Parts: sequence; C-alpha cells; structure tokens
Amino acid sequence: MGKGKAIPWGRWLVRGALYLVLVGYAGAVILPMVWLLYTSLKNNEEIFRSAWALPGRLHWGNFAYAWGRARIGDYFANSLLVTAISVALILLVSAMAAYVLARFPFRGNRAIFYAFLAGLMVPTQLALVPLFFLVNAMGLLDTYTGLILVYVAFSLPFTIFVLAGFFRTLPHELAEAALIDGCTHAQAFWRVMLPIAKPGLVTAAIFNFLGIWNEYLFALVLISSERLRTLPLGLANLLMVTHYESNWGALFAGLVMVMIPTLAAYSLLQGQLTKGITAGALKG
Amino acid sequence: MRREARRMAALFLLPACGLYALLFLYPVISSLVLSLYDWDGFSQQRRFVGLGNFRRLLGDDPMFWTALKHNLFLLSVPTVIILAAALFFAGALTSGVRGSKFFRITYFFPNVISMVAITLLWFFIYNPNFGLLNGLLGKLTGSKVSIVWLDPNHIMAALVAPIVWCSLGFYLVLFLAGMESIPQTYYDAARVDGANAWQQFRSITVPLMWDIITVAVVFLVIGGLRIFELIYVMALGYPNEQSQVISTYLYEQAFNNANMGYGLAIAVVLFVLVFATTAAAMRLMGREQTEF
Repeated sequence: MGKGKAIPWGRWLVRGALYLVLVGYAGAVILPMVWLLYTSLKNNEEIFRSAWALPGRLHWGNFAYAWGRARIGDYFANSLLVTAISVALILLVSAMAAYVLARFPFRGNRAIFYAFLAGLMVPTQLALVPLFFLVNAMGLLDTYTGLILVYVAFSLPFTIFVLAGFFRTLPHELAEAALIDGCTHAQAFWRVMLPIAKPGLVTAAIFNFLGIWNEYLFALVLISSERLRTLPLGLANLLMVTHYESNWGALFAGLVMVMIPTLAAYSLLQGQLTKGITAGALKG
Repeated sequence: MRREARRMAALFLLPACGLYALLFLYPVISSLVLSLYDWDGFSQQRRFVGLGNFRRLLGDDPMFWTALKHNLFLLSVPTVIILAAALFFAGALTSGVRGSKFFRITYFFPNVISMVAITLLWFFIYNPNFGLLNGLLGKLTGSKVSIVWLDPNHIMAALVAPIVWCSLGFYLVLFLAGMESIPQTYYDAARVDGANAWQQFRSITVPLMWDIITVAVVFLVIGGLRIFELIYVMALGYPNEQSQVISTYLYEQAFNNANMGYGLAIAVVLFVLVFATTAAAMRLMGREQTEF
C-alpha cells in the first residue's frame, strides 16, 4: 500500500547519493588545484605553519624566482620550440606515408603498414639504451635535432595509423577528378587531399602535442645541458634541487606556471580531445 | 601503377620509413641482440654471455623480483578501481544527471597534465609537514596529523591515488562513448521485462562494451608495466627497494651502474610482458565478442 510513496523517496535518495559522489570526485580534482594556486603565494614559513591557511601577504616573488632564477621561463620556451617543430614534422612525414599506404595498392604495402603498426606494441624503454648510443654516434646527443628526430620516429606508428584510417574514409573521386584535370599524384595530394584531411590532422596534432609536451624519459636520457632542458626535465630538476634548498613557495609557483597553459589549452581543445578518443573507441 | 605514381609513392614513404628504420627498428633490434652480451657501454669490449643476463636476472636478483612485484601491484589495484569507478561514473553521466558535461570535463582534466607535474602535485599533497592530505585529516580530527605517506610502509598504497587520479578521466570518456552507442531500445525492452538497473548493466551494458573494456584493461596493464616518472621523480631520481619498478631498475642498471647488457635484459623482459598482455587480450576479445 505504502509502496507507491516509497518509490519516489528511494529514487530521491539514490539521486542525492549519486550527486554527492559526483561532486565529491569533482572536488578531489579541483581542490588540489585551488590549494596549489594559493599555496604558491605563501612564503616558506606560512607553508609550514598551516597547510590550509590562506597566504597573509601575496608573495609574487615566488613566481619571479621560479620564472627567472629557476629558469622555468627558459624551459617553457624550450618545450614550445621542441614540441612545435616535432609536431609539424610528424604531421608532414606521417601524412605523406599514410596517404600512400592508404590509397596506393602495391606489393609490400601491407607489410610496411604492419611494420609501423607493430611499433604500437613496443614499450619505448626497449629502445632507450641503444638509442642513447646511436644518437651519440650521430653526434646529436644533447641537441634538439637528436631529440626531435627521436620524437618523430616514435610518433610515427600512432600517427600513421590514425591518418591512414582517415585517408581511407575520404572520397576517392576527389583525387581522381584532380588527376583528370591534369594534376600529378603529388599535386593531387598537396592541393586536394591534404586540405580536406584537416580534421584528422588536427586530432593527430593535439595528441602528439600533448605527448611530446609532457614527455620525460627520452629528454632525460638525451639532453644533459641545463640550458636545453624541456619543461618536464626542468620541473623535476627543480624538485630535486628544492628538496635540499627548501624554497617550497617557488616550487609551488613553478608547478602553477606549468599547469596554467595546460589548463588554458585544455579548456579550448577538450571537445576535440574527447571526440578523438570517442572516434577511436567506436572504431575499436 | 603509372610511373609517376610509383615515384611519388616511393618518395612519400622514404622519410617515414627511413626515420622509423633508423631510430626505432634498429635500436629495438639492437636491444634484443645486446641483451645477450656483458657490456658496460663505454669500453669497446663486449663479451657474449648468451642467456646469462636473463639467468642472473630471473634466478639471482631479488631487486628484480621486488620491482616486478611493485609493478604487479600498480597494474592490478589501480586497474580494478579505475574500471569500477569509470564504469560507475559513465553510467551515472548517461542517466540524465544535470551538469554531466561539467563533470566529464573536470574528471578528464588531469589526463592532459604531464606525469612529472602530477608527481610533483602529489608529492606536495603527501608531504608530512605541509601536505594537503595531512592538513585535511587534521581538520577532520581536530589535532595535528603528521603521517609520512611516502615512507616504506605506505608508499605503494600511496601511489594508487595519483595513478587513479591522473587516468580515470580517459577511461570515463572511453566508456561514455561505448555506452552512448548502445541503442536505448535495448534498455527499454529490458525494463518492460522487469530488469532492474544492475541486471541491465550486467546483461546489456557489459556484454556490448566487452571490447572497449578489454582495450581499457590492456591500456591499464601496459601502463602499470611501463610506469616510470611517478616512481622516479617521487624518489628524487633514486628509487630503492621500497618503490623500485622495472623501468626505474632498467634505468638505474643501464645509466647509473653502466650495466648496459643487464639493463637491456630487463628491457626485454618488460617487452615480453607487454607483448604477452596484448596478445592475451586480443585472443580474449575475439572469443567473447557479442554481436549487435
């Protein structure tokens, strides 16, 4: 009898609990960021006095120290340079290869495609040690050329896989029409196919940018000069130095400066990112 | 193919194939070969020892087994938590709650932060003196809490949280995509037959998302096998037996101790584990697939 009334009550309870959990986890993501932000404006003494208290005075000097003395500014510029050049090269080299592999049937096509695909199963650690000696032998150790070439080589399997899949979905007739109009195959690629492949290129660019911007292990092994450090290298080093010097405010500030551009880029590109993952998930 | 097409195909493939062969395939194959040698990396002399490195590694190196044990912990516990939480959140966000877009965007954000930055953030959170966690516990209990979260007794358990925190969002988005592609009519039909939410989840959602779940498990297991930055940076570059994992042990042997051949043997074992995981998952996927 009372059952008819009990159901909505139960439903409200479930709904309420659901929201509590959802908001709770959102808090677990947001709270550390907020805490990080205001702690970066405290001095050492304030940091140790209370973990939660807001800063008494805003110590912007932490940021000046991290940007200048701790060279986060330089590392930021370094990372931008390395990542931008790497991504541009990756897209160029991969798009050319992926186009041929997707649309030109020739003997050995499948073999080459699968050789690239196999790279997706290999952990980068397997190549690390010989790569160090190879890059050294090429005279490219501790140079951006060496680091960038390695980034390009290791991004090829993923990027070619994505772009070849994309080129296969593009209408065949467009390239054909260009050929009939007197274009060479190369011209048909540059003028017709590459421009309409833009959505695929954008997705590949975002994922590669993220991967290389955040990459640590190759940079750790291939770069040794302080002035050539990328952001992850510089940040890790700042932690190891601060641990002995104890300028914690500056380290918090350094971390904030690393996070803010990521947050800004994320708020602009999150739609593209999740669309990329969704497309990948549904293709299987 | 016409001559022009053939020339273009060769020209277009050359940069990718050249770079890939030189900087990817060659080092990978070198690793496989050089793991059979005793080599310090600097002298010209390499001594062929066959499977000697592997015999020592698997038979006579407690540190390797400790590292492997840590990897197994870090690929199992977070995986279970992430799968359960991501499926739960995906289900919750497709059930018509308000603000589902906000939750999705918030949960995904940690996925784009570099692992080094995440490690640093959690290094702060766990700090015994000024960390967020002890501060929070202090607020709740009303007294000062100074638990050393990264000490030998807690460190493995403490590493679970950052791993879940930094990757949950990716699996949530993955599962959301899967759930949104399941036709609503299936659930309507089940409801007519009197199936409750749990029954619908078990007999519609899970079977139809089996492939995506398997892919997620593979990613998580491989991620747990390859884990490096979190351990290496958290230990300030020198992990000991409390937190050593395969990747950091490989790095230590090769680059700090100049045992290149031995380090490579560790890398080969890591590769075999990753490969076996992928192969096993592919077989599993083929067998238990459910057709739409």
